[in-house]
Amino acid sequence: MIKYFKDIITGAWSLIKGLFVTFKNLFSKAVTIQYPTQKLRMVDRYRGLVDLRIEKCIKCHMCVKICPTGCLSLVHKENAEKKKEFEHFKYNMELCCFCGMCDQVCPTQAIYMDKIYEIAVYDRDKITRIDLLNTGKYDEWAHPTVK
Amino acid sequence: METAKENLQTEEFWVNMGPQHPSTHGVLYVELKLSGETVVDCIINIGYLHRGIEKIAENRTYTQFMPFTDRLDYVASMTNNLGYVLAVEKSMKTEVNDRAKYIRVIIAELQRVASHLVGITTFVQDLGAFATPLFYGFREREKIIEFFDELCGNRLTYNYMRIGGVQFDLPKGTDEKIKYIVKYMRPKIDDLESLFSSNAIFTARTKGIGVLSKEKAINYSVTGPNLRASGVKWDLRKDEPYLCYDKFNFDIPTGANGDSWDRYKVRIEEMRQSLRIVEQAIGGLPEGDPTVKIGRIIKPEPGEAYMRTEAPRGELGFYVVSDGSTYPYRLKIRSPSFSNLAVLPELVKGMKVADVVCVLGSLDIVMGDIDR
Ligand code: SF4
Ligand code: SF4
Repeated sequence: MIKYFKDIITGAWSLIKGLFVTFKNLFSKAVTIQYPTQKLRMVDRYRGLVDLRIEKCIKCHMCVKICPTGCLSLVHKENAEKKKEFEHFKYNMELCCFCGMCDQVCPTQAIYMDKIYEIAVYDRDKITRIDLLNTGKYDEWAHPTVK
Repeated sequence: METAKENLQTEEFWVNMGPQHPSTHGVLYVELKLSGETVVDCIINIGYLHRGIEKIAENRTYTQFMPFTDRLDYVASMTNNLGYVLAVEKSMKTEVNDRAKYIRVIIAELQRVASHLVGITTFVQDLGAFATPLFYGFREREKIIEFFDELCGNRLTYNYMRIGGVQFDLPKGTDEKIKYIVKYMRPKIDDLESLFSSNAIFTARTKGIGVLSKEKAINYSVTGPNLRASGVKWDLRKDEPYLCYDKFNFDIPTGANGDSWDRYKVRIEEMRQSLRIVEQAIGGLPEGDPTVKIGRIIKPEPGEAYMRTEAPRGELGFYVVSDGSTYPYRLKIRSPSFSNLAVLPELVKGMKVADVVCVLGSLDIVMGDIDR
């Protein structure tokens, strides 16, 4: 009998204590944002889609060699003046793990990671065969401003 | 009446818990043999999240394997990174400079807090406190994740540590930011504790449930907070200090009974201790350049090295065998959750089926760590 009342009292007390914490939070500021209308700005070091500054690339294949998932493929040829020219430079975003290794290893900062993160598409080919040499490749996706 | 009960035909039966079950923290499949509501037998089936990471390691250079360690225990990626780089550094017999060591300690301890916040709040959610505590925990964790995001550019798979240092130095204003996190986190942990510890239902459902004795814990090589909750004072940060943990003052919280309640309590206390370490480390942060100094090609001498670290879930060991090439000859990962999960059948036998979830939650497993 005593236990019964004791249980009721401890139960009620725990309820009050719990409600106190809830009450405290009731008057604190909201931490969430209203996503589709409000958007977060990405940080400086954010690792989004891989992009290329074409004129800077010296075709050294470092990024291709370091990539742990093998999602970059670069083929180059030499022209008449013994200068390297692109044949193709493809990026398979489906395999990419956004590790940033290619960005880190590139000697000329040609390959880098931009801030695009809304990358849903209907057509799978759009993400498996991204042509890094095409400057307009990411135009259809929103480019969030950098903080 | 008595005879009617005796004549009643009863039968033990098997129930499948998982692989898709909200309380199994991933894809874990537990077969339970029940007699009425009591668990008679328990078989654990794992392998639903197996990705062959140890085999992948043999086909990747030492540097390339880094992002894969993120995917082991994905709730605490930083500590996985850390365990791996320390193992490779040990096999190369190199040491990083003091600033890199301090940064690694700060990151690892913040990650421990973040991981325990997830561990505790999902545990409480498993017990039926739907969503609210989980959101509190995740809100607090968000502060740490935001800091990590600023630090390395990702929120979950950080890939921040490097063999021979770290990827970036701390961004500007980090001191204040970390001090703010510590200051912010302390009262929040108190809040969480008062929310759970004073709760009559939570107390009733965890005290005395899933008692893991000292001997059994050692025999099953249970490590981490689960071991310490059973009363064994064993923490690699104290007993086998790596990095610069020997320079900091902190206590090792232990439990007395080894039940689910103790496991929860030890985690709460460990978060406070971690914050203490972070505070000391940020106060004494040395100057220097923590980024990688050794050459780009990593080629340890032929031989082997084993390095174990205290991850949030227990002892995380990386065993690297090198044949002198740029690829590891063999990489074995000793993950804490694997051993911790193995003790589950011992704990749940003779228990009510509803308590299985409680014990499983209190062990705080991550399936990515178990299946690898
Ligand atoms: S590492 Fe940089 S310079 Fe070399 S091929 Fe890749 S993008 Fe071009
Ligand atoms: S981010 Fe990582 S996975 Fe993606 S292309 Fe660069 S190196 Fe490869």
